[in-house]
Amino acid sequence: MLITSGILGLPSWQDFQPFLVTGLSLGGVYALSGVGMVVLYRATGVLNLAFGAVGAMGALIAWSLINHSGWNEWLAYAVCVLFGGVLTLVYGMVFGPALAKRDPLVKATATLGLTLILLGVMDLLWTSSGGASRSITLPTDNNTFMVSGIQVELTNVIAIALGLVIAVATSAFLRYTKLGTAMRAMANDREITATLGVPVRRVEAAAWFGCGLLSGIAGVLLADLVALDATTLTFLVISSLAATLIAQLRSISITFVAALVVGTVDALITPINSITNYRDLTPFVLAAAALLVLNRKRVISISREGI
Amino acid sequence: MFHHVPRVRLGLSIVAALGLLFVAGCGSSKSSSSTSSSSAPAASSSTTSSTASSASASSGTSSCGPKPGTAATGTPITLGAINTKEPGTDFTDIENMEGAYFACVNANGGVNGHPISLTKLTEATQPAQIAADASKLTQTDHVDGVSGSSSILECTINHSYWEKNHYYVIAAGIAPECYSTPNYADVNMGPRYSSDGAEQYVLTLHPSKIVFDQSNVPGTGYIAAGPAALAANAHVPITQLTENVPINDADSVALKEVDDAGPNGAVVLNFTPPEALVILQAAQKLGLENRVKAWACSTPCNTDFLATSLGSKWDGKFFVNAELADPDATNTPTMNLYRAILKQYGSDVSGGIGAFSEMGFTMGEIAQHALESITGPYTTASVNAAFKAIKNYNTGMLCQLWTFGDYPLHIANNEDYTVTPDNGKMVLKQGCTLISAVDPQIAQYRAAAGTAPLAPGQPSGS
Repeated sequence: MLITSGILGLPSWQDFQPFLVTGLSLGGVYALSGVGMVVLYRATGVLNLAFGAVGAMGALIAWSLINHSGWNEWLAYAVCVLFGGVLTLVYGMVFGPALAKRDPLVKATATLGLTLILLGVMDLLWTSSGGASRSITLPTDNNTFMVSGIQVELTNVIAIALGLVIAVATSAFLRYTKLGTAMRAMANDREITATLGVPVRRVEAAAWFGCGLLSGIAGVLLADLVALDATTLTFLVISSLAATLIAQLRSISITFVAALVVGTVDALITPINSITNYRDLTPFVLAAAALLVLNRKRVISISREGI
Repeated sequence: MFHHVPRVRLGLSIVAALGLLFVAGCGSSKSSSSTSSSSAPAASSSTTSSTASSASASSGTSSCGPKPGTAATGTPITLGAINTKEPGTDFTDIENMEGAYFACVNANGGVNGHPISLTKLTEATQPAQIAADASKLTQTDHVDGVSGSSSILECTINHSYWEKNHYYVIAAGIAPECYSTPNYADVNMGPRYSSDGAEQYVLTLHPSKIVFDQSNVPGTGYIAAGPAALAANAHVPITQLTENVPINDADSVALKEVDDAGPNGAVVLNFTPPEALVILQAAQKLGLENRVKAWACSTPCNTDFLATSLGSKWDGKFFVNAELADPDATNTPTMNLYRAILKQYGSDVSGGIGAFSEMGFTMGEIAQHALESITGPYTTASVNAAFKAIKNYNTGMLCQLWTFGDYPLHIANNEDYTVTPDNGKMVLKQGCTLISAVDPQIAQYRAAAGTAPLAPGQPSGS
């Protein structure tokens, strides 16, 4: 290890430890976001690319309520979460039926339209003119302890824990509840599920609403952990998306693990000078590599069938 | 049915599409940016400020013109400006404040009886659009001069056009060409020399090492050359870092800076306020603010918002280069006029009091001063000759007297303040100090233009 470090100019394990801590907390929020996207995809076939933008707008609304209207912080954060749920639900109910039979790529592109609209609205309402900048500081930031020589906030712990809790709870929900079973059935075949008497629209609405609530939660956490900036929060969805793609938009548990890996690898690359400037490629590289490997397996499988 | 389409193909398509969108998003966001295509509308917009404002003059603003309360009614003198405006980057406060200044002048007698008409154009860092803006100003709007421009790429794209057409542009610069070409002179010193100033201050604290970190955008090499020269001259090792913006892993960035600098080192940042804020807040959250000897930042960090957001932990630990006088601590007639004009005419200056509007104000007063010197007709030739002839003008906002002059390069503002946060406000730490001529560009400029005198009433840092 020491030899490798010396040859490649890698920092020591001790140097890596603080980056591991920061990477894991970001990975936790990526996991939370990824789970929301997977659940929605499994229920509706929509890859929600507006996840980040909805969360960003919710966080900016919360910031305005706290700083301009004097609202209680927790109430404002609750509004952010609720905003995410309601906006996503409205989008799903208005555009969902029309897009239900379209190609998944069309459905995903439609959410990209929502993303661009929200980005424009945010730029208009929360302008960056004059170098304006904003920030959200959660009360949990004040509870700290030391790990590997750096100060860790309770918010970091909450981010990881919440990611885990949401992943476990969602898995249990899909497996053991009637609504979850209906969602899984719809993932297999929407039309047959409808024929069997499952209220498809209501199940889809629940998925849209749940996904939206998670986008609101992720928006608040990322606004605190990363930055309260529309563009930054909107495009952070890419890291979560990478995790969902690695999980092939199916497995909640793989999404969770993949999100932690994306967040951690991204952070661990930072102190390595030779590649530090390329660390933003982490989600793309990991997702593309995973998809290519999975694709290779699929091709082999088909060829065997052919034989 | 969605599940009939292979997920892998969908995934690869999404990765590719989002990659392109991410690149476009980065290009259209934050700070200095590349020429990448943007999702922002390509069309430029233009507005023309009122040539004879109907707003009545008040006692607070009447000093901006020669005839208080009398609106100018002569033939308008036409000026133009080009500012960057795109999602995440908006410099229009600068031209809007200059427009507010001219509205005040027009309501108080104008310039020799002539009102000033300012055509304000915007661009979204697209070279073709920027070039078209210059053509529009000269060929469609027939402006006599250009004042109030502030753009990420405008100097790079248009400097040869202005040279060819004999326009001398008063600007707030960013790109290297704003400082290294003969037809631009700026009221600010831009990222390179402001970073020099920030580093120059922390070098007085004798750090064992400097870490200089800035946005990873075109022109970083040009900016980094200044701080590198200063560090080399002081025999202090320097590590140069760049960060992709917007920054989405500020914790890791702050950790790396501190690790690289070491306990006796100093970290110097060159970012826009939002990016600097996320790095400094991350450092604070991780308890890193005292893990180095000092932190410093170029001019964009000079905002009370940043001081308030950071809190008292950074008092006396963080030093910011400041290019214009502090509006909070300065009570001069010029600063009072600035505040009064902003209040009465600056309804479209969304950022309010701050460096951007101060720059717009300063360019307005410089242009007015030059125009007042013209005795004959106002033409492109006479206006640009007057701009070029400005020498040792006291803006009341800058450390030095301001000169345009006929030089191969212009760093008209090369003496700055240093401020530090104190109880939620930025306060003066060091008075006016010349940027070191160890930076070869500064040396070259002073060899050509000499060292401008300290403006009367400005605090000396020596």
